[in-house]
Amino acid sequence: MSEEEFRDGGVLAEFKDVTALVKACEKVRDAGYKSWDAYSPFPVHGIDPAMGIKMTKIPAVILTAGLTGATTAILLQWWTNAVDYKFPISGKPFWSIPANIPVGFELTVLFSAITAFIVTLAVNKLPSFYNPLFNHDSFKRVTDDAFFISISSADKKYDFDKCKDFLEELGAIDVEQIKDDSHVNAELPRNLKIAGVVAVCLTFIPLGLIARARTAYSSEPRIHIIPDMDAQPKFKTQTANSMFPDGRSMRLYPEGTVAVGEPGTDDHFERGVDEDGAWVDTLPQQVSLNEATVKRGEERFGIYCAPCHGLAGYGDGLVHRRAEKIGSPSWVAPSSLHQDYIRTQPVGQLYHTIKHGIRNMPAYGHAIPPEDRWAIVTYIKALQLSQGAELKDVPASARVKLK
Amino acid sequence: MASKAKKPDFKHANLDPGLAQKIITFGGAAAVVGIGGAAGLSAGHWDAFFHAYMIAYAYFLAIGLGGLFFVILNHLVRAGWSVVIRRLAEGAASTLPVMGVLLLPIVISVLMGNHDLFEWNDPHLVETDHLIHKKHAYLNANFFAIRFVIYFGFWTLAARYFLSNSLKQDETGDHKITTKMERFAAPGMFAFALTLTFAAFDYIMSLQPHWFSTIFGVYYFAAANVSFLAVTIIICRWLQSKDARMLPGLTVEHYHDIGKLLFGFNFFWSYIAFSQFMLIWYANIPEETEWYLERQEGGMAMVSIALLLGHFAIPFLGLISRRAKRNLKLLTFWSVWLLAAHFIDMFYLISPAQGGHGGEHAAGAVHFGPANILAFVGVAGAFAAAMAFALRGKKLMPIKDPRIVESLGFHNV
Repeated sequence: MSEEEFRDGGVLAEFKDVTALVKACEKVRDAGYKSWDAYSPFPVHGIDPAMGIKMTKIPAVILTAGLTGATTAILLQWWTNAVDYKFPISGKPFWSIPANIPVGFELTVLFSAITAFIVTLAVNKLPSFYNPLFNHDSFKRVTDDAFFISISSADKKYDFDKCKDFLEELGAIDVEQIKDDSHVNAELPRNLKIAGVVAVCLTFIPLGLIARARTAYSSEPRIHIIPDMDAQPKFKTQTANSMFPDGRSMRLYPEGTVAVGEPGTDDHFERGVDEDGAWVDTLPQQVSLNEATVKRGEERFGIYCAPCHGLAGYGDGLVHRRAEKIGSPSWVAPSSLHQDYIRTQPVGQLYHTIKHGIRNMPAYGHAIPPEDRWAIVTYIKALQLSQGAELKDVPASARVKLK
Repeated sequence: MASKAKKPDFKHANLDPGLAQKIITFGGAAAVVGIGGAAGLSAGHWDAFFHAYMIAYAYFLAIGLGGLFFVILNHLVRAGWSVVIRRLAEGAASTLPVMGVLLLPIVISVLMGNHDLFEWNDPHLVETDHLIHKKHAYLNANFFAIRFVIYFGFWTLAARYFLSNSLKQDETGDHKITTKMERFAAPGMFAFALTLTFAAFDYIMSLQPHWFSTIFGVYYFAAANVSFLAVTIIICRWLQSKDARMLPGLTVEHYHDIGKLLFGFNFFWSYIAFSQFMLIWYANIPEETEWYLERQEGGMAMVSIALLLGHFAIPFLGLISRRAKRNLKLLTFWSVWLLAAHFIDMFYLISPAQGGHGGEHAAGAVHFGPANILAFVGVAGAFAAAMAFALRGKKLMPIKDPRIVESLGFHNV
């Protein structure tokens, strides 16, 4: 590159040491120059006032960003947890301040840090790919042992000869004209530009995919990034299985298998039906109707039935009330045990319902042994009797308590 | 510029023996009148006296421990800027032996079986209360006394070590003394962390022996730093207003840095206090929440809110700007503010334990009375007298410390 292609970029003056630099800075500041800078191999205490640099406004910007972060965090949590998607977790409130503080703290720090980073770069005009001072060999010593002041030709008061004299007066040991070739050299390299454009284009791909997924429908199963235990190496019921000659996944009981505790020999006791298959109307001989049985039934009823049916059997248990409160769409209300069609059911049918469940109610046969099922039946009957009772039904000896 | 700072004239940098004598006399008198008065006022209600006394005691113990931490820390990291105020920190740490003497009556009463303050010392409760029974291996009178000897033994040793070596250096200017102290600082820091943590468990947390929090030591540590730094700012301002030559070269730059630490440690306190609260609040386990519950009922709820606003929200906003830390009047104001908040903090920690057993306890009752004020004045007097006694006639800065010049020339960019 020939000398003619350089333009006048300003003046670069070298000073002997840091003291001379600071003194010169004060003079340049007082002379009213605006577009100038000082360079030193190390940070210099007191150079800011010497150069007339005012206190930075960055802290105020960062404070604003921090407050924005805190507000964003609180609003985000309020919107997602208390408005848009209420999700009850062990009865905790949807919205409460202490739970939101940690995220608020994190976003405050995050917003502040990112803002500090970006604003500091911006204020320092970074990243910068070109500076005419790097055209000067003498300037390379600025990271080692040299101290410089430069006045840019962009300064309103700039005049090369005057500046040169002025800086020499201030004790500069060497003054040069800055060789500015920004008109030919400050352009970004072509490859870098292309790479930048390509990178920006690439970032649109994931955004586009997301936008498409938000609006389009697909019959494919969703993308399963973390399968956990969703897909297990096992055979499900009603599926074919090549491992066995008959091809069934569900195996039949070996011949002569007897269920534990229920040998299947006593229809009355185990199934609640008589020899014709009709519901029995009496208790089996294994169960005697006395206070101990009813008390046992009350206790079991409280454990297994009351959560849904309620302690008095009106179908208003805590599970039901909770489901209603949160408006569960799939909830089927448990039956009241005091409806006529249940009041008139024979004991065998009640027994059968407990053992096998009905409609939405699951079977309890696995959890409640036959004696206890019958005990619950006696309690349900007592409960039904109590709800329709009149004074004459109460034994004379117990009437005193009612008063 | 650091390299160019000149040593100022240290001729008048002594704590005038006359002034020191005055502080010792007044402080001693205040101690006798205050503590005696508080005891007299609550005669027959030892429960009330003991708790009022412990609040005041924990308040000033924190300042002494904050001083010791400051000395150890600055030796450990070989800090330059802080040298000018290190002697004051050494003075604050030198109150720790006296604080040990002030705790002695309580340790003796515990050994004699008194359980007005520490209900874990009640043999009947040890028998009947399952949790206290399980903790008896740690919370018993003899081990309590042994730990008292260990804590105050170490603190006294460390405080005397740093002050006497530093004073020796004032005479000889031997740089090796600094190296020696730096070498002691590392194991000293370990011992300090352990003793402070367990002392906080013993003297404050065990007042309600059912409750426990592993972060409690850090909480008290944060409070110790806040109170020590606030006191240091006030002492420096007071000394300089009496005679600026007592602390020559202590400039707004140093105040600015103490202010930064004050701000930082105050936020640290808030962070720790909230961490402790949130874990317990979220887990919602009755044996942990009861401690907070009784601080959120009745009058104590107002004390809790006062603590939240007074120890965190308001001073946080007040001290955040550079201006607040460089404007010495503002900085002094916030120091006084935070010392008041420190009292609310100690009151909040300790006073709900009062009447905790014996059936007269009303949850959320605020037990504040003249005994609190008298006990505070008493322990404050003892603290001031002890600090003045340690520094009487001595230089108020380590004038021959190898880093004193760096410290004097310190400048915030």
